[in-house]
Amino acid sequence: MAENYDIKGMVEKIKALRKNAEELKKISGGIPAVESNADRILANVKMLEIDISDAAEILDE
Amino acid sequence: MNSSEYWNPILETLPREKLRQLQFKKFKEIFTWAYEKSRFYHKLYSDAGMEPGDLKTYEDIRKVPKMEKAMMRTAQGEGKDPFPYGDILSVPLEKVTAYRQTSGTTGQPVYQADTWQDWEYSTEAYAYALYAQGYRASDRIFLPFGYNIFIAFWAYHYAGEKLGCEVIPGGVLNTEARILKMQELKATAMGATPTYVLGMAETARKMGIDPPKDLFIRKITVAGEPGGSIPATRKRMEDAWGAKVYDQVGSTEIGHWGWECRYQSGLHVNEAFYLVEIEDADTGEPIDEPGRRGKMVVTTFNRMAQPCIRFDVKDLIQWNSRQCDCGRTFRLLDGGIMGRADDITKVKGVLLSPTAIEEVVRDIPQLSNEYLVVVTKKGDIDNITLKVEILPEYKNDEAAIRTVLVDQLRVKTNLGYNIEFHEYESLPRSQSKSRRFQDQRPKQH
Repeated sequence: MAENYDIKGMVEKIKALRKNAEELKKISGGIPAVESNADRILANVKMLEIDISDAAEILDE
Repeated sequence: MNSSEYWNPILETLPREKLRQLQFKKFKEIFTWAYEKSRFYHKLYSDAGMEPGDLKTYEDIRKVPKMEKAMMRTAQGEGKDPFPYGDILSVPLEKVTAYRQTSGTTGQPVYQADTWQDWEYSTEAYAYALYAQGYRASDRIFLPFGYNIFIAFWAYHYAGEKLGCEVIPGGVLNTEARILKMQELKATAMGATPTYVLGMAETARKMGIDPPKDLFIRKITVAGEPGGSIPATRKRMEDAWGAKVYDQVGSTEIGHWGWECRYQSGLHVNEAFYLVEIEDADTGEPIDEPGRRGKMVVTTFNRMAQPCIRFDVKDLIQWNSRQCDCGRTFRLLDGGIMGRADDITKVKGVLLSPTAIEEVVRDIPQLSNEYLVVVTKKGDIDNITLKVEILPEYKNDEAAIRTVLVDQLRVKTNLGYNIEFHEYESLPRSQSKSRRFQDQRPKQH
């Protein structure tokens, strides 16, 4: 399973997740339910960045 | 490489030179963050004449001033704002979502702030451990522990959920009720301190329940005490439960930085999340070679509310020369936490390792799981008393057991002891972290 991973593809999707969650917050007009849940999503996005994106950057160097 | 071994094969098998590059990059990031956001770290580094631009090579990390627990206490002391975290806090107070604190064993507790993202980080780090130990979504985890203001087992719970396991919080139940609930629900794994793992098995047997036969626990993660890395204690636990026992280490200020994988070759340091340095306890010289014991200095890379950078923990550890069969590139430690580098364990001028005492006691089958070490001082002379319990069926073998104990303790610790035999079940039992080392010598200032 994991041998088939596509690091570059994952990095792009993780970037898109961050962008979407941040945009969601922006257009929420401050609705607490949206802002708080978007913040939690962003915390998980950060874990994906630590797990995948940060390593990808080093592997590229 | 068998990728099903790993929570994250990319980080866990990163070539060593890439891992080092990653560590340097992350160190610079957390250093810069702390320098800019925390009054405590800004002053610490400014006073030393350091700023982020000074970190040019990996070796420059060693120029960064270390931080100690006493400094954290001062930074938080006397109701400093933002209360109660004071100068060390690096995010606005309203971003803090969790409070925990250290146990205060060595003084006033340190208050620990975490944002939700910080907590995700701790949980993620623990998920690496549980996955490496063979936990999977099919596991039903029982936690015989009452969560509270201390960090213990909170991350185990959340990481279990993250892996998709079913987590049963057994907090408010007493030991008997926990055992019955474990049996009723056919729990397959649990996390506890070594003391409690052994105590629970004893209680189960008294209830007529033989854990290997009558319960379903096949994996146990232990933390909070060194027992998981002491072969004799691990064997007692594994025999008592018919389960594999894995050690896990961490602390409130650092997080969950080390764990055993299912090959049980020693503690892996999660080097993608933490930088563990070892240095000579007297000279501060870095130790990179295996087999040489030194003081641990740790950095947590992505915990942002209350950064932990070059924390001088004062625990003694040493690198293992082995490469684990699991294929991870994370380095291994030999023998877990081996003691403390401060005076707390210096007796008769010798560094006393409580883990060495435990190894001797737990290796003698005629003794119970409990023991107590009491250090006193008469005049200028330190005295060590070791209190042990002899199992009722071996009461007549006291003289022979005493000889073995004295000889083995002399070999393993280079010290002499007064041995006291106590009735079985007369020494104090604990449900969490045991305090088996009591230093009753007057404090010197």
